[in-house]
Amino acid sequence: MTATATAASAATAASAATGGALDTLLVSLQLTDSAFPSGRYTLSHSLEGFLQAKAVSATSMPVLLTDLLRHSIGPGDATALALAHRAAVTGDWDTVAEVDQRLHASKLNRELRLAAIRTGRQLLDTAQLALGGPILDRYATLVTAGRAPGCQAVAAGVAYASGGVGTEQAVASDLFAFAVSFTGAALRLRLTDHRRAQTTLRSIAPAIKEVTAAALRREAADLGGCVPAADIMSGRHERAEARMFAS
Amino acid sequence: MTDDVLRVGVAGPVGSGKTALIEALVPVLIARGRRPAVVTNDIYTQEDAQHVRRNLAGVLDPERVVGVETGACPHTAVRDDPTMNLAAGAELLERFPDIDTLLYESGGDNLTLTFSPVLADMFFFVLDTAEGEKMPRKRGPGITDSDVLVINKTDIARYVRCDLAVMTADADRVREGRPVVLTNSLTGDGIDRVADLLESYRRVSA
Repeated sequence: MTATATAASAATAASAATGGALDTLLVSLQLTDSAFPSGRYTLSHSLEGFLQAKAVSATSMPVLLTDLLRHSIGPGDATALALAHRAAVTGDWDTVAEVDQRLHASKLNRELRLAAIRTGRQLLDTAQLALGGPILDRYATLVTAGRAPGCQAVAAGVAYASGGVGTEQAVASDLFAFAVSFTGAALRLRLTDHRRAQTTLRSIAPAIKEVTAAALRREAADLGGCVPAADIMSGRHERAEARMFAS
Repeated sequence: MTDDVLRVGVAGPVGSGKTALIEALVPVLIARGRRPAVVTNDIYTQEDAQHVRRNLAGVLDPERVVGVETGACPHTAVRDDPTMNLAAGAELLERFPDIDTLLYESGGDNLTLTFSPVLADMFFFVLDTAEGEKMPRKRGPGITDSDVLVINKTDIARYVRCDLAVMTADADRVREGRPVVLTNSLTGDGIDRVADLLESYRRVSA
């Protein structure tokens, strides 16, 4: 919490007097909301590729989500988010840039890299406007200068830091946002319905907690997941003749 | 937007002639000395992007046509959360800084589709006569709020029991006099008028 307090931007400092904890919750809710414009609704996070290969069903979709959280998003995006968040809080911009580059390099498919960068830069753009603060401005300078690619997870980490949200809550929030985006894609791909999607989201809470804890422990050298099957599905999806989603 | 690029949206139902309008418009713009590029929002395939590249081969560099997937949400992609289109447009401008006109074709959608003012400086809504004479009377923000309403496929009106005079009068009435253009994009009828109206939205350089 000490580190978080250091990170407090002017806006957060002002709100601290009127209930900082509640304010950071509101920041989390806003950044996690699927209505936050970062284009995530165009992504299926490899799910459409799995469906095209007939390698996922309505029954196995939640299992696939849990697997991706544990072995792809957790070691990759969530870890990058945690590392970038901590580094942004302490003003260690070299580390923020390095984490961003590592995360980008860990994504093996073009469409996954492109999706990360497109959503990241758009998230950054709107967060700068909506949340504001020197932390986001500094990171935007790095991205514009080409020193950091601007991956979604890193941009989100910096945005959460700017809003005074603690590392753990930031990681859990973004993992939940991923799960919402994934189940939203599943809904449009007829792999779930509006009620079962909510059951899935609640049932994966233990996995999100576990993945959050692991991400908080991981170091930069361990950044990056290992999901060869998902990478192959994404690779095939990239060349698929027909698709609804950008990933 | 702070640059001198005119961003133009093209909306309308499935099959009304959004792609055909763009394919007819681009050569006219190029003949007028403009340097356009196209972002298509395909629903399920890259059909539109490929169609535009194929039909404009020799006129427009295929690299200046990109497709954006919309996750089955065409209206979200141009109105509620246009970020992926903004990203695609920004990437095109980064690669080809000479572009002065960006055409965004939305996925085919219903009559409520409008473009975010952040994404497009102006937008066309394309109807066609085969959809039925009644379409303008149905209104919907696409028909009433678009900057220019285009009624395409005028040549087949008589075969689909569509009275163009009624359709145009209804369109004029619900749009309170804002521009309505009749086109046949395959022969080029009306396209000069479309290009004139597009140009009228270009900011005068300081």
